Amino acid sequence: MRRLLGGATLLGLAAGLVMGFVVAPRESTQGNVQRIMYLHVPSVWVAYLAFGVVLVASIVYLIRRAEAADQLAHASAEVGVLFTGLTIATGSIWGKPTWGTWWTWDARLTSVSILFVMYLGYLLLRGMIDDRERGARFAAVLGIVAAFNIPLVHFSVYWWRTLHQPPSLMKPGPGTMPGIIVAALLVNFAAFTLLYVYFVAKRARLLRLEAEAEA
Amino acid sequence: MPDNWGFVIAAYGLAAIVLIAYWRFLFRREKELDDAKDVRHQLRQESSASEPRPAQSAQTTQRGPIP
Repeated sequence: MRRLLGGATLLGLAAGLVMGFVVAPRESTQGNVQRIMYLHVPSVWVAYLAFGVVLVASIVYLIRRAEAADQLAHASAEVGVLFTGLTIATGSIWGKPTWGTWWTWDARLTSVSILFVMYLGYLLLRGMIDDRERGARFAAVLGIVAAFNIPLVHFSVYWWRTLHQPPSLMKPGPGTMPGIIVAALLVNFAAFTLLYVYFVAKRARLLRLEAEAEA
Repeated sequence: MPDNWGFVIAAYGLAAIVLIAYWRFLFRREKELDDAKDVRHQLRQESSASEPRPAQSAQTTQRGPIP
């Protein structure tokens, strides 16, 4: 099953690259540098998804004390931090040629950085507490509190005047992008979602094996 | 606007390095833990094989103290 998932993920990523570099046309305003979007936007989608899963798994853990829920939250937070880091790095690389700067304290960039630091703190908290049950409980509370930052990140472009553009896809109402660009983006969304599931399944299994080894 | 292919390559290259490095970490750790699990399983089997069977231990206790 895991091999099948791994194969599907690889195929999805290959299809995403073909869609982003071959099928999707050169964007008229930004030129080819806009192709970073097929990496940047799916990365932030996976980060939202990962932290949403942390929220749900943390609530389940606090109610049922199920170790599997805690392991899922832990695995998902780690993968979420990885993809948030990628979002910030690829956004910075995209920002230099389009905005003329690697970094600015814009509302979206600042709120994403806070999100990154909060979940990095979540992982550090888990590592700092030796008592597994106590660490899981504290992490679950932080996992719920930190999730309040997700809507702040997403709507920051509406609530404050920012340099970052508003979302082109993850918004209500009709889209403004050409269909072929939306299709390329959707293929990459699917590929990155598969990659997220593959990483989380593998990481959660490792956490289960580590718990068995310690028992 | 110029195409800035260098930035595109940098972004995709960085993502590839990070994702492959994380996959390698998961793969290696999984192998370590699977190997350790196999060793534990083997040790448990060996120790259970070397332990006296219940019937044998009962005979030993019936024999009484060695003079």
